Amino acid sequence: MSPWKRGIVYALLALMAGFAVFFSLTVFSQTSLRLDEAQSLFQTNRDLGGMVHLIAQDVHVPFYHTLLHFWQLIFGADIFTARMLSLVFFAGTILLTYYLATYAFGRRSIGLFAALLVTISPFMNWYGSEARMYTMLSFMAVLHAIFYIKILRASSTSSWILWTVTAILGLYTHYFFVFVLLAELVAMVLLKRHFADRKPIRNIIIAGAIAGLSLVPWLLYVYSLGFASNTQPALSEPSAGDLFDTYAQFIFGFQTSSINTVIISMWPVAVLLAFFTLQKSNKKIPPETTVFVLLATLPVLCAFLISVTIRPFYLSRYLIVALPALFIFIAWLASRYRKRVALLVRIGLVAMVGVLFVIQVTSPNTPVKEDYRETVEYLTENADSSDVIVLAAPFTIYPVEYYYKGTAKLTTQPIWDRFSAGSVPAFDEATVKQQTEANVSSYQKAWLVLSYDQGYNDKLKKYYDDHYQKLGERKFSPGLVVYEYQIRYDPKVTIE
Amino acid sequence: MEFLKSVQVSRLLLLLNVTLSIAYFVCVVWLFPIGNPILFAFLVASEIFHVWQVIGYIHTIWPRKRKRSFDARFQPHVAVFITVCGEPADIIEATVIAAKAMRYPHFSVYLLNDGKVANRKNWQEAEIIAQRQGIRCITRTEPGGAKAGNINHTLRLTVEPYIVVFDADHIPKPEFLIETMGYFVDEKMGFVQSPQYYKNYELNQVAGGSWEQQALFFGPLLKGKDTVNATFMCGTNMVIRRSALDEVGGMSEQSIAEDFLTSLLIHNKKWKSTYVDKVLAEGLAPEDFLSYYKQQFRWARGSLEILFAYNPLFQRGLTWAQRLQYIASASFYLSGLVVLLNALLPLVYFFGAVKPLTINTMTLALIFLPYIFVVLYTLQHTSNFTYTFRALSFSLGSFTIYLKALWFTIIRHKSGFAVTSKKRVSGNHGRLVTPHLVYIGLVVAGIAWGVMREGWSASMLSNIAWAFIYIAAFSPFIAAAFERERKPVEVLA
Repeated sequence: MSPWKRGIVYALLALMAGFAVFFSLTVFSQTSLRLDEAQSLFQTNRDLGGMVHLIAQDVHVPFYHTLLHFWQLIFGADIFTARMLSLVFFAGTILLTYYLATYAFGRRSIGLFAALLVTISPFMNWYGSEARMYTMLSFMAVLHAIFYIKILRASSTSSWILWTVTAILGLYTHYFFVFVLLAELVAMVLLKRHFADRKPIRNIIIAGAIAGLSLVPWLLYVYSLGFASNTQPALSEPSAGDLFDTYAQFIFGFQTSSINTVIISMWPVAVLLAFFTLQKSNKKIPPETTVFVLLATLPVLCAFLISVTIRPFYLSRYLIVALPALFIFIAWLASRYRKRVALLVRIGLVAMVGVLFVIQVTSPNTPVKEDYRETVEYLTENADSSDVIVLAAPFTIYPVEYYYKGTAKLTTQPIWDRFSAGSVPAFDEATVKQQTEANVSSYQKAWLVLSYDQGYNDKLKKYYDDHYQKLGERKFSPGLVVYEYQIRYDPKVTIE
Repeated sequence: MEFLKSVQVSRLLLLLNVTLSIAYFVCVVWLFPIGNPILFAFLVASEIFHVWQVIGYIHTIWPRKRKRSFDARFQPHVAVFITVCGEPADIIEATVIAAKAMRYPHFSVYLLNDGKVANRKNWQEAEIIAQRQGIRCITRTEPGGAKAGNINHTLRLTVEPYIVVFDADHIPKPEFLIETMGYFVDEKMGFVQSPQYYKNYELNQVAGGSWEQQALFFGPLLKGKDTVNATFMCGTNMVIRRSALDEVGGMSEQSIAEDFLTSLLIHNKKWKSTYVDKVLAEGLAPEDFLSYYKQQFRWARGSLEILFAYNPLFQRGLTWAQRLQYIASASFYLSGLVVLLNALLPLVYFFGAVKPLTINTMTLALIFLPYIFVVLYTLQHTSNFTYTFRALSFSLGSFTIYLKALWFTIIRHKSGFAVTSKKRVSGNHGRLVTPHLVYIGLVVAGIAWGVMREGWSASMLSNIAWAFIYIAAFSPFIAAAFERERKPVEVLA
C-alpha cells in the first residue's frame, strides 16, 4: 500500500475514533447517571478489599472494577471521569475491529467498513459512555479474536500464550466471555483442517482449561460468600423477540417499541439478502467467515437457551462480545455484492443507522434512558425535611443517592439495609402495609419513585393510591415516575 | 466449467440440513398454535413438499463414490443421430461438420429430418446439407411420436450397436466419443449422458436464466444421481446402447419427455447409466420467452405425467435410490402449486386478516431463519456458488407454467411435442407474465387494505416483507418477458 493510501486509512480511522470521542463528550457523557453506573461507583469508591468483596456479592467479575478503581484514583472519582475509561475501550474497539477484519479477510475496505459500523453503532456509543465493563468486554473480544485468527493462520507459541492471556482477561471482565471461548472451540472443530496448528483442538482445550482454572480462585471466593447476589435485578425469561431484538439493538440501537416492531418484523428480507450474498461470486468464502458467524451467533444463542431452560440471565449488553464479530461479518457480506450493489448496501445501512442514532439520542422515549439527575433535581426542589422519598426497586437508591443533596429522608421499599450482608429483600405483599407505615407515617408527604420494575411496582402504587391522597405525578424517562402523596394533614412545625 | 467443479461437502452440514428442516416442520405442524385450519392445511402441504425437496437434494449430493469401468480401447461402431425439425440450415450444418470431425474410428452420421412431417418450409435444407456433407439424411414421411418417433424410425433403418443423439444445435467436441464410449465396456451400461451447455447464455435474460437453471441440474444434481446409477437421458449429448433401447421398445413415444421416461424404463430393466461431467457439446438456450415457456412446459408436463402414469415408486426393477431420485426430479414440477400457495399467504392476510399459524412472527423467524440459511448455503456451496438470483427467479416465476402442466396432466389434456426454437421468436411475451403482474397489483391493494384495517402491525410488516420477496423474485422473470430484442452477439463455438 502506498504511503498516501496508508495515510488516508489512518486519517479515516482517526476520524472514526474522533467521532466516537466527540459524541461521547458532547452527548452521551452529559446524560444522567444510570443505575448500573451508580452501582459501579458505589463499588469502586472504596478500598480494594472492600470493592472486591462487594463485587463478589454481585453478578460480575473484578477486572473492570479494579481498573476503574485505579483510574478514579488517578483521574478523579466523578461519573464523567469514570465514563472516560469506557470511551477509551470504545475507541480501542474501533481500531482493533479494523485491524482484525483487515487481517482476517486481507481487505482494508472490509476492515474500514466494519470499523465504521462499530463507530456509528448507537449501541456501542451508548455503552462507550457508561461507567460499566461493556466496551471493555467488546475490546477484549476483538483482541482475543486477533490471536485466534493468528493461530488459524500460523501456529506459534506466542499466539497461544497471548490467546490464553486474553482469554483470562476476558473471563475476568465478564462471565459471558466463556461463550466466546465456546464459539472458538466449535469453529476449531468445524475448521480443523484449515488450521496451521497440527493439534489445534488439543491445544485449545489445554489453553482454555488454563484460562478456566484461572477463574477458579475467584469462583471459590464467590462461593465462600454464599453466591449472594446483592443487587441482582429480576430478569424475565427471554422470548424469540428478545433474541432478534438483541441484533436489532446491536445495529440500530435502542429504539421505541414501534420502531423496533418495524425493524424486526422485516426479518423475511434477510432471506433475500442472504441469497444475494451467496449467489455467484468469484470471491471465495474464507474459513474465517465461519469463525465470525459463530462468534456473532453462538454467545447469543447459548445465553438465550440457558435463559430459557435453566435460569434467565439474558441481557443484550452482556452479549456485546458478539457485536464486533457481527459487524465484521456484515462488512464481509457487503463485500460479496457487485460493486454498485455493495456501495448501495453500505450507504443504505450507514444512512439507516445514522437516522436511528439520531432518534436514539433525541427521543425522550428511548427505552434505556434513565434520567435520575432530573428526577433528583425535581425532588430537591419540592421535597423537604418533613417528607420522605421512597424508592422502588430498592437498588435504585444508588443513582438517587449520588445526586440527592436535599433534606428529605431517602428510603426503599421493600426496606433494605444494604450495609448488612445478604441480598435485596424480596417483595412480600403481606408486609406492604407494615413497611409502608414504617416508611411514611411520620412524614407530611411521601414521594414514591418507581423505576426498574421488579414485578411489584404496580402493587405498591396501588397501595399508596388506596391509602393516601395522590397530589401529582411526573414521568422523567421511560419507566421512571415520581408520585407525590399527602400522608399527614397536621400543620408543619417550624423551629426557628 | 465452474458448475462442474467438484465441491467437498461435509456430511455434518448435510445432516444439519435435514435436521433443521425436520425440526422446522415439526414446529409448524405440531408445536405452533393453528390459525385458520384451511390455510394451515395448505401450509402443511407446502412444508411437506419443502422437506421432501431438501431430503431429495441431500440424498442426491450425499458424498459417495461409485466404481465405473472405462476402457478407452473399447471402440465399437456408433451411429450419430442429429435430430432436425426445421432448424436453420447454418445451425444444422455446423453440428454436422463438428460431428463428422469427432476423433473416433468407427461411426456414421445421420440427419434425422422431421421437417417434412412437421410441415416446415425449409425441410429440404437438411437433405441438401446431408448431400453436401456426404452423410445420410433420413426424412420421415409418416408423422408420429415426435422426436422419439423420429429416432425410432431411424433405429429401424440402421444397425450400429450404439446410438449417439444430438439436437440440431448441439455441436459436439472432437473428443465426445472418446470420452463416452469407453464406459460401454461394462456390458450392463445402457446409456451415457453428458452435460447440455448453452454457449449463448450471455445473449439475453432468457438465455441467461435458462442456463443458470440448467447449471444446477447438470452440476451437483446429475453428478449426484450418477453415484446411485440414476442419471437420466436429457434428449441430447447422449450415447445409448441399442440393445437396451430395443429391450424397452425404443424411445418412448408415450410421453413428451421421451428421454426421461425411456431412462426410467431402461433402468427398470436393470441397465446402468452414467454421467460424464465434462462439457462435450455446446448448444443453444432458448432465446425468447415464448420458447422458454414452451420448453419448460414440455419438461414439466412430461415429468408430471411420469409421476402420475409411471410412478417410479411402483417400478419393481428400480432400486430404492433410483425411485427416490426419479420421484425427486419429477415432483420438482409440483413446486408450481407450492409457490402459488406460499405467495398467496400474504394476500390472504392483507385482505382477510387470517393466517395459518397464530404464532408470534419472531418465534417463527427463530425456527425458520437457521433452517433457510443452512439450506441456501448448502445449495450454493454444492453448486459452487453458480446458482444465481435469476435462476431462482426463473424457477419461482415458472410456477404458472408448472401449474398449467399440472392441470393438463390431471385432466389428461393432450399436448404436442414442441421443438425449442433455435432462433428468437419475436413479439411481446408480456401476456405470459400476466399472473405475476396481477399478483403485484393485488399486493399493493392488499397492503393498503390491511394497513387501513390494522395499521403497521408486526404481522402486517412481516407479510409485506414476504410479499416483497415474491415480487423481487418474480421481477427478473417479468423483465425477461418484456425484454426487447438485442442485437445478436457473435457466439464463439
